[in-house]
Amino acid sequence: MGVDPLVLARVQFALTAATHFLFVALTLGLATLVALTQTRSVVSGSAVHARMTRFWGQLYVVNYAVGIVTGLVMEFQIGLNWSGMSRVTGSVFGAPLALETIVAFFVESTFLGLWIFGWDRLNRWVHLVLIWVVTLTAYLSAYFVLVANGWLQRPVGFEMVDGAARLTDVGALLSNPTAVLAFFHVLFGGLLTAGFFMAGVSGFHFLRRTVEVEFFRRSMRIGLVTVVVSVIPVVAFGGMQFEYVQPTKRGGGDGAAAAVADFSARFGPDVYMPPRGAQVGLGLMVSMWFLMVVLALVALVKLPFGRWLVRGRVFHVVMILAVPLPYVAMVSGWVFREVGRQPWMVYGVVKTRDALSPGVGSAAMTVSFVVFTVLFAVLFGVNVWLLARFARRGPEGAQLGASPPAEPVSPAMSPTF
Amino acid sequence: MDVLAVLLLAVFSGGYLALAGADIGVGMLLPWLGRDQRERRLVIASFAPFFLGNEVWLVASAGLVAGAFPGLEHELLEELYPLFVVLLVGWVVRDMGLWLRGRVDAVAWRGGCDVAVVAGSWALAVAWGSVLGSLLFGGELGVGSVVGVPLGVLFVWHGAGFARWRLPVGLAGRAARIPSRYGLSALVMALLPVVAGVEVSWSRVAAEGAGLTMTAVTTAAVLPLLVASQALVWWTFRGRVESPSYL
Repeated sequence: MGVDPLVLARVQFALTAATHFLFVALTLGLATLVALTQTRSVVSGSAVHARMTRFWGQLYVVNYAVGIVTGLVMEFQIGLNWSGMSRVTGSVFGAPLALETIVAFFVESTFLGLWIFGWDRLNRWVHLVLIWVVTLTAYLSAYFVLVANGWLQRPVGFEMVDGAARLTDVGALLSNPTAVLAFFHVLFGGLLTAGFFMAGVSGFHFLRRTVEVEFFRRSMRIGLVTVVVSVIPVVAFGGMQFEYVQPTKRGGGDGAAAAVADFSARFGPDVYMPPRGAQVGLGLMVSMWFLMVVLALVALVKLPFGRWLVRGRVFHVVMILAVPLPYVAMVSGWVFREVGRQPWMVYGVVKTRDALSPGVGSAAMTVSFVVFTVLFAVLFGVNVWLLARFARRGPEGAQLGASPPAEPVSPAMSPTF
Repeated sequence: MDVLAVLLLAVFSGGYLALAGADIGVGMLLPWLGRDQRERRLVIASFAPFFLGNEVWLVASAGLVAGAFPGLEHELLEELYPLFVVLLVGWVVRDMGLWLRGRVDAVAWRGGCDVAVVAGSWALAVAWGSVLGSLLFGGELGVGSVVGVPLGVLFVWHGAGFARWRLPVGLAGRAARIPSRYGLSALVMALLPVVAGVEVSWSRVAAEGAGLTMTAVTTAAVLPLLVASQALVWWTFRGRVESPSYL
């Protein structure tokens, strides 16, 4: 029974990365909105903003946990399954990943621990600084990861010596347009995800005739304002990247034909055009964006009038249904970016086929594939369920920042629904 | 530059085993330190504020290996593939047990999470023992991988020292049955990767070109800041734990 290790390794990475990114997208945007809400609460002493910080912060933390563990596995998977790439380009590709872990993630995680567990122990201004450090290092983390990914798309600032790449120009690596533009694209994509998430959860509570009218009116407003602010920049930074997109990724044209001729001359005959899936990804992402623009226009009409946010059952149902839109756009955008790069791992340098770990057999790869896929499927299910559970419970159900009750909890403490 | 990068890797990997080694050890001892779910939540609270800040030392070590020693990354991970799969699965299962335990008020849920924490901690410790043993015996699956397994017990010893110092007096007494001194065991844990790394020919696996310089210099420059942020965590949560935490 021979399963192709290349297929297994690719599908495994795609599943890990997609799961990781679904959670990361919300983490990035929601951290920003929680930090802004907490700032408002600390500066003005507003009680409703303090409660909003705890409720949305709770959802942020539940979401964050899956982001961490999938990220850990991804970091190791590159070395486990793709050592062929590391052999040729490790001296370049490893550097931004190293900086991501040391400069960004290390600080992010340490300060997040302080923010979660130090809720009542720390001065409120210190506590506020913590969430901002967490937010900014989360963005720094995204930047470094996109520097690494941007280099796979458009390798710059290196020379080949004895068949191995070595970095010659740090500035070119760090300012690679495929990294910088992608970073801002992801930044606004994350905000869009969090905006629709906040608006959708708020819509759900209005639909259920919540008594927390002010709480969810303010949340709905923050969500919709975020959507309106992000929906144009996200497409602008997406569109600007087309100037740097590989000729073969666009699916045809003179540039693609020239690139295929060049690759065939240098690397021998091969299929140098990516599979059709890449174009499907692009189409899906753009369609999702159009739907989001329509909703942003509706939001623009509703926003000036606070009461209009509270009313309109159709509006609330639509906002709930809109929560998946940015997620679909995100994942299909990644499909376009990554599938569109095929057959290359590092464009024009290392083919995906050659990037695979040569020594790892089909059996080991199969076991690892099955184990991690099952594990992540369970994690995904459990965490989506938990997110929905805490979102449904509303502000009274937030455990974050509340002194935990002595176990066993009396029945009065857990509301039923 | 190689030398600086090796020193930094020693700091980060030693930091990981000394700091996270303690919370892994407490996780291994969970059924003995906490006899019911309320006690177990308290035991988890002893390391809850630290565990996020502890595991980042390993993430940073892995990053440092990728950036400065890509040769080691693929040799080690590829040779010891099964060990690292066990290590990662143990790590993920344990982390999810910790993150999820406090989220649902149900006996079966908390019981399931306790099992995940204990099993994950044991898997992690045993996998680490085996990885360190393999490194010492030439960096491949073989005698060293088996010989290293008992090293996992060091985590228990280290965890007991931590629990003795952090748990409320009554529960700390149970940890005290294992003769341990936190300072001593932390030193031993920190030196483990140094000993295991003696056999590696570092200049052969090091990165070439500006990538190595960028990684090593930046890491050295931010290290004081990283240590300060960790010190802030330790200072904030000093003393014995009295009540359950968010986890």
